[in-house]
Amino acid sequence: MPRMLLSVGYLSLAGAALAHNVTILSDAPVNQEITGLLWWVLIFAVIIFGVVAGALAYTIWKFRAKPGDDELPPQVHGNDRMEIIWTAIPLLIVMVLFVLTAQTLVKIKRPVAGSVPIEATGWQFWWDFQYPDEGLRTAGELVIPVGQPVEVKITSGDVIHSFWPPSLTGKADAVPGEDNYLRFMATKPGNYYGYCAELCGASHANMRFRILALEREDYNRFIEAFKAYEAPAPASEPAARGQQLFNAQCAACHTVKGTPARGVIGPDLSLFGMRTTLGSGVWDNTPENLKRWIKDSSAMKPSSKMPPFTQLSDTDLEALAAYLYSLKLDGFDFAQLPRY
Amino acid sequence: MAVQAPEARTARPSWGAVIWDLLTTVDHKKIGLMYAFVAFLSFAISGVLALLFRIQLWDPANQFLTGSAFNQMITVHGAMMLFFFILQAGLAGFGNFLVPLMLGERDVALPRINAFSFWTFLFAIVLVVVSLFFGDVPQAGWTFYYPLSTSLGSAFYMAAILLLGISSLLSNANFVATIYNLRMKGMSLWKMPMYVWSIFAASILNLFTLAGLTAATLVTLLDVKLGLTLFNPDLGGDPVLFQQFFWFYSHPTVYVMLLPYLGILAEISSTFARKPLFGYKAMVYAQMGIVLLGMLVWAHHMFTVGQSAIFQIAFAFTTALIAVPTGVKIFNLLGTLWGGKLVMKTPLYWVLGFIFNFLIGGITGVMLSMVPFDYHAQDSYFVVAHFHNVLMAGSGFGAFAGLYYWWPKFTGRMYDDRLGKLHFWLFLVGYLLVFMPQYVMGFLGMPRRYYTYPADVTGLVTLNQISTIGAVVLTIGGLVWLWAMYKSLRSGPKAPANPWGGWTLEWATSSPPPAHNFDVKFPEKIESERPLYDWERAGLKPEPVDPKTIHLPNSSFWPVFTSTALFVMFFGMAAFDWPNGWMLAGALLTLVGLVGWALEPEYSHLVEHHTVTGKSQGWMGMAWFITSEIGLFAILIAGYLYLRLTGNAVPPEERPALWLALVNTFFLVSSSFVVHSAHHDLKHGKASPFKLGLLITIVLGVVFLGVQGYEFALAHQHLPWTEDLWMAAFFTIVGLHGLHVLIGATGLSLAYLQALLGRSDAKNHATLEAAGMYWHLVDAVWLFIVVLFYVW
Repeated sequence: MPRMLLSVGYLSLAGAALAHNVTILSDAPVNQEITGLLWWVLIFAVIIFGVVAGALAYTIWKFRAKPGDDELPPQVHGNDRMEIIWTAIPLLIVMVLFVLTAQTLVKIKRPVAGSVPIEATGWQFWWDFQYPDEGLRTAGELVIPVGQPVEVKITSGDVIHSFWPPSLTGKADAVPGEDNYLRFMATKPGNYYGYCAELCGASHANMRFRILALEREDYNRFIEAFKAYEAPAPASEPAARGQQLFNAQCAACHTVKGTPARGVIGPDLSLFGMRTTLGSGVWDNTPENLKRWIKDSSAMKPSSKMPPFTQLSDTDLEALAAYLYSLKLDGFDFAQLPRY
Repeated sequence: MAVQAPEARTARPSWGAVIWDLLTTVDHKKIGLMYAFVAFLSFAISGVLALLFRIQLWDPANQFLTGSAFNQMITVHGAMMLFFFILQAGLAGFGNFLVPLMLGERDVALPRINAFSFWTFLFAIVLVVVSLFFGDVPQAGWTFYYPLSTSLGSAFYMAAILLLGISSLLSNANFVATIYNLRMKGMSLWKMPMYVWSIFAASILNLFTLAGLTAATLVTLLDVKLGLTLFNPDLGGDPVLFQQFFWFYSHPTVYVMLLPYLGILAEISSTFARKPLFGYKAMVYAQMGIVLLGMLVWAHHMFTVGQSAIFQIAFAFTTALIAVPTGVKIFNLLGTLWGGKLVMKTPLYWVLGFIFNFLIGGITGVMLSMVPFDYHAQDSYFVVAHFHNVLMAGSGFGAFAGLYYWWPKFTGRMYDDRLGKLHFWLFLVGYLLVFMPQYVMGFLGMPRRYYTYPADVTGLVTLNQISTIGAVVLTIGGLVWLWAMYKSLRSGPKAPANPWGGWTLEWATSSPPPAHNFDVKFPEKIESERPLYDWERAGLKPEPVDPKTIHLPNSSFWPVFTSTALFVMFFGMAAFDWPNGWMLAGALLTLVGLVGWALEPEYSHLVEHHTVTGKSQGWMGMAWFITSEIGLFAILIAGYLYLRLTGNAVPPEERPALWLALVNTFFLVSSSFVVHSAHHDLKHGKASPFKLGLLITIVLGVVFLGVQGYEFALAHQHLPWTEDLWMAAFFTIVGLHGLHVLIGATGLSLAYLQALLGRSDAKNHATLEAAGMYWHLVDAVWLFIVVLFYVW
């Protein structure tokens, strides 16, 4: 029965991998390398598991004491040949796996020429992203090109975090005072889930991010437009009031490109209107969530560093929302990207 | 006390008498049972915590336990399960009860130290519980990574671990001294039961590596309380250095958590297959291989911190390699069962379950050594599933195997075998339901320590719900377990001396054993690890002994008193700013306790103790204890060297003066010679020069401390440790050495007090031997410090 359970486990594993979205067995190149390693492991695992569990099952079935049989079985003290065999074979197997491991490790760690450099900094409880070559900054959702490798330099501004987009690559820790690198590539457009994977405080579970992979031409168009971007002049009365409110209440922490808001303590909100999520990749970016967030973010996200703005009236919140949703580049719809 | 001839059955003792007896007992069996009771209680409590957070994870939108509350739950769950249950149950719990019995002896090497270890262990738990009332419940994960831990407080947790460290080291040193020095005649090392070997190996491994944990907790606590740290990146310190310290202990410790249980499984397999162990020597070698390799794999917990590829490959290699000796242990267990006549009773069920579960855990462990895969698995649910696989369904099953195996010996009662088996099946099924889905969750990218998760990732909700159902099944299993134990204690049939037909010496006495363990003297001819089997075949019989010749150590109030005093001190260290009245009062009371302890005779009669090596137990215990002290300085100095060589800890222009250190070196080194010659005088019966020599040693030590205090005050005025990393390293390491001088001088003063009151003579002077050896260590370390901090 236990073996049956395990095979059910493997089946559901395979099933889940095929079904949909987030999985480390995706077709991103790094994950492909790892999947290759896992196949090797699977072969050896099946053999070892079969032999040992089989021997265990046979022992239980065959060598039971019969009622009334008081005689001792043959008093065997050991067998040196067996000891050598079951030392040597596992040794051989782990050596094979080790060599494969070392090869793959060197391969995925090697820097790739022509990578897009990106800097990611973890803060309690959100991710700051920068494109050093372009002088651009954003937060929560990182836009990358499809088919071109990226090299993310990862660090932290406070405690240790870890940067993990499972469908694209493994993780790397964000350690204050140190730089850590992840190199990976997306092979298809998508909205890739990312997580903080090192316990960093009360809202560790709410410190996520998204990587938005765009076709190369879309990506280039995005970067060029972002470079030229200045927040559009408010087109409506509420948006104008929202901008005033924002500059008075929010600008100390947040930046909106092309306006007096230049705060750097909190996430950059220059393109907030394009975000698919808010609160660091956790909640859908809807006006309801946004208003709830501004009013008291720590009710949604425990120990959030953003103070509550309970003094704001509903009209104020509407105005802020109108302004924030106006902050976007035209001609992109990130909501359409499939999620991985 | 001497053992009286058959005790008359008296009325049931009063509650007060029972409690006083437990407080003052030095009986290894009672201490072992108290350890085991507290350990299994910790298991039950932290199991309930796990159920609570599994309920939270039933639905990602749950608001039942979120944020800090959730983090507190997982932290306390992990810390209690690891530090207070699985580390203790098989080693200090069963080990204390069984090792002297299996060795044919009457107690452990140092019975009062043993009592002290237990109470200190208990107070470590109390400290964690008390944190609740001070708003400082540990919540940075049981791994308390820097700087999250310091930003959240964590002082109580740090103090508790330091207290536990003292307890563990003394307990481990006691075990090694017992096994090395206190075996019945005829029992050579290679004739010891496998369980005793496993306690030996686990104790040594803990003594060698605990320093890593001590260093990590100490520096964290100093950071919280004094801003004194080696890890702060703002000063050039390295948060990753914390992880090096921490994992240097915390990986080997999983083998400390495993080895005793492998020993238990070996005993049970042999007994229930009615066969000797298959490949006894190979198993011992494999175990020693695990001890050795166990110290070389720690960095596989740190593959994602960004170390160089070479570093990672080296640790991947050792990590893969350690699967080999672990495999040998499992194969030999199978070999023992193979061809036997398996008596299918509860203990054997747990053994079979262990082998199956550990097989899966072993395979997934090898997977984790494949670094690129580990980049995914690290801190994901795959890793959660893996370590529960080996620790809960592995070691934990081993703990229950041992509990069911020795329960009749512990309590004198049999239990209902059907309930034991029901408990087993519920735990096996529950465990599979909880953790098999978690492997899959790892593949789906679910990070560890999340109180919520994306509901739209295919399968994640369902898998979490299966896992939670499994937790409920485990809980039901836990209730069946409690019922089985309760029923046995209340109405179980009386257990015979040897209910399973075991062949080791604990089965050669009544269940439960009398205070003096054995009424008989065993034959001195031992041929294998199964003396009872061999004696029966050779027709050898034990002979009765005159109870009047049996002497047991006296009960003592001082261990629990001293332990309580130490608790007061650590409570003060955790709860309030330094220094404070609690710390001072605790330190003074500890001193009072030590004086009372040193002046109280261990035995009512002067008893000649035979020891295997001829060295006193005090000497032997201290010799092993000191290995851990060497480790502590070695690891801190290694940290300093790293910071210095990477150019982060640079000595300031004006640093503590070399000439002052050299003067101090003179004091300390000469004191080492003086104490040596004093010891020599004592052994040759020259009482007066001995006392003078000892006094001079103590005075030299005090002068050293005075000079150092002056130097510290000067240095801190000049450049405080909060501003310079080199100064931080200086104060941490040189200060810790100063503390050791203080402890050593205290020990020597106790020996001096004994000498003044005529309590030591040429033959009886273990305190002096131990304190003298400690003193030499302190001097040797100082020489390194002079070179590394004053000359270089």
